[in-house]
Amino acid sequence: MFSLAIKNILFYKGRSLTTFLLTFVSLYLFIVYVAFMNGSHQSMLQNALNVYTGSFQIYQKEYRSKGGYDYLIRDTRKPLQILADTKGLKAFAPRLETFGIASSKTYSHPIMLTGIDFNREEKLSELKKALTQGEYNTHGACLYMGENLAQKLHLHLGDTLSFVGSAVDYSFVAELFEVCGLFKTGMYEFDSQSAFMNRDYFDTLFFSKNMATYIVAMAENLKHNDAVATKVEKKLPQELQLYRWQTLMKSMVQLMEIDSLFGYISMGLFFIVIFFVIMIYGFININARLREFGVLRSIGVSDNKISLLLLLEILLLTLFAFVFALPLGAYTAYYFQIHPIVIEGMSEMYKSYGVVSDKVPTLFDPLTVFYNSLFLFALNLLSIVYPIYYVRSFTPIEETQHV
Amino acid sequence: MIELKSVDKYFYKSQEREVHALRDINLTIQEGEFSVITGPSGCGKTTLLNTIGVLDTIDNGEIYLQNREIANLSSKEKTEIRLKEIGFVFQAYNLIPVLNVEENIGFIMRLQGYSQDTIKARVREIASLLQIEKQLGALPNFLSGGQQQRVAVARAVASKPKIILADEPTANLDSKNSTALMEMMHELNKKEGITILFSSHDDYVIKNARRTILLNDGEIIES
Repeated sequence: MFSLAIKNILFYKGRSLTTFLLTFVSLYLFIVYVAFMNGSHQSMLQNALNVYTGSFQIYQKEYRSKGGYDYLIRDTRKPLQILADTKGLKAFAPRLETFGIASSKTYSHPIMLTGIDFNREEKLSELKKALTQGEYNTHGACLYMGENLAQKLHLHLGDTLSFVGSAVDYSFVAELFEVCGLFKTGMYEFDSQSAFMNRDYFDTLFFSKNMATYIVAMAENLKHNDAVATKVEKKLPQELQLYRWQTLMKSMVQLMEIDSLFGYISMGLFFIVIFFVIMIYGFININARLREFGVLRSIGVSDNKISLLLLLEILLLTLFAFVFALPLGAYTAYYFQIHPIVIEGMSEMYKSYGVVSDKVPTLFDPLTVFYNSLFLFALNLLSIVYPIYYVRSFTPIEETQHV
Repeated sequence: MIELKSVDKYFYKSQEREVHALRDINLTIQEGEFSVITGPSGCGKTTLLNTIGVLDTIDNGEIYLQNREIANLSSKEKTEIRLKEIGFVFQAYNLIPVLNVEENIGFIMRLQGYSQDTIKARVREIASLLQIEKQLGALPNFLSGGQQQRVAVARAVASKPKIILADEPTANLDSKNSTALMEMMHELNKKEGITILFSSHDDYVIKNARRTILLNDGEIIES
């Protein structure tokens, strides 16, 4: 049956070529498309985590549900020591966030002011890389603020603004700050409401020494984040709770899942078309060969062997297409991972999605390629099911009389 | 060798256009016979051959091949009988277009599991007998009608079946090729001892058959 299948493939060139080309094109496009899709998702995620969020954060229990100064981490020394003793972390830092009103001479805007350790943050986040004007490491009553926030307040580097808020003991805080640095991360919401100041002066103003809203940490390798987070989680005091990036970035994860879903739906529609074209071509070919199958069955070829023959034909054609499409698709995906396509102005267009680079990221993952290939392989084999059923629905005599 | 008892066959049974294709057929074919089923067009010759060859089902009666009832076997068992016991020669040759002459002739033997050497030797022997040894490498499309029919006979004969059923084998041949085919079939019958059953309304075939079974409107008139 194997040699007969090969002879049939070579003899019925039209059907073979169509099946080969369709399979080749679909697999190639599928591999490259998924690599681009996964690459942009991973890039969005990596950017978002690197810029500010980190790979996990530690909070006092109930802070995330109730909020407010009552649920701050009151003493950061112990959790910071736990983190210092844990291997696999790139960096970690405590942050204390407060909310208040910032005003220039004529404009006011609610802002989130965060007291940070600039040296620790330098290793942890991309706040320093996001600097566009002025200085990053501010001292005293000096703010490092988002460009969009500065625009809203009509402020420039060196200008003064007032801030009104509340200290952790709920006493009133008011201070005049100088705009010492401006940043742009590309995340619009973040850039239009965030400001940072050095932790020492922050603690003086807000009476928050050794306190934190949360402690942020970044794993050396995001793939190992779960394991590292679990280690930390086990050592943490009961009143503290650890949140992984999947929870912290829930909306982004959902956004990516929806995007993936739409991506797969689009590819699914494409595959349905391909599937039916392959099936119809196969069916037309098999219908034209019905007499031949009748003869085969008449001279003693069993129904199972006829099914095997048809299965072998599609299997060989699919494998043949895979031999070319798989390495070529994988190579393309890998090539673009190393040499990403650059589209000028893309980051500006998609900044709200956390895209901070004009490079179109691609992720070559052999396992994804394997699963996607397997899916297409199964789909191709499935395309022969109806033609097999069709052939078997006739008697040998009906088939030999087929015109 | 072959025995049909009270065989009835209908087409479109219980429908308005019902056709009673075979009516109470009782027939015995002995081993080594060289017989022809004849009669006017539409009298049931091909249907009778197809039922004997378990290619078609019957509605009543029994068919025995070497004392084994074969009409009511499963599809798998019928396939097995067609593979091992019966050789078919079709009116339209029905060769496998992707296989060359040698592969076509040896195809059934390959299905039966014979070794390559045995197949090759047998194919050469039959090809020589049927004078098609020069065409062994050719595809069926490149052969004349007479040559294709010889290949079809060679394919049917190669695996040494007990019986050959040939449906109007000379219908598409000129008189020269018809004569050659008949001579060849006679020789096979004599040399290989194969039972041969034709369906034909070709006078030459009828004259050269040892036994004539006359059918009319699905009934055996003369046997």
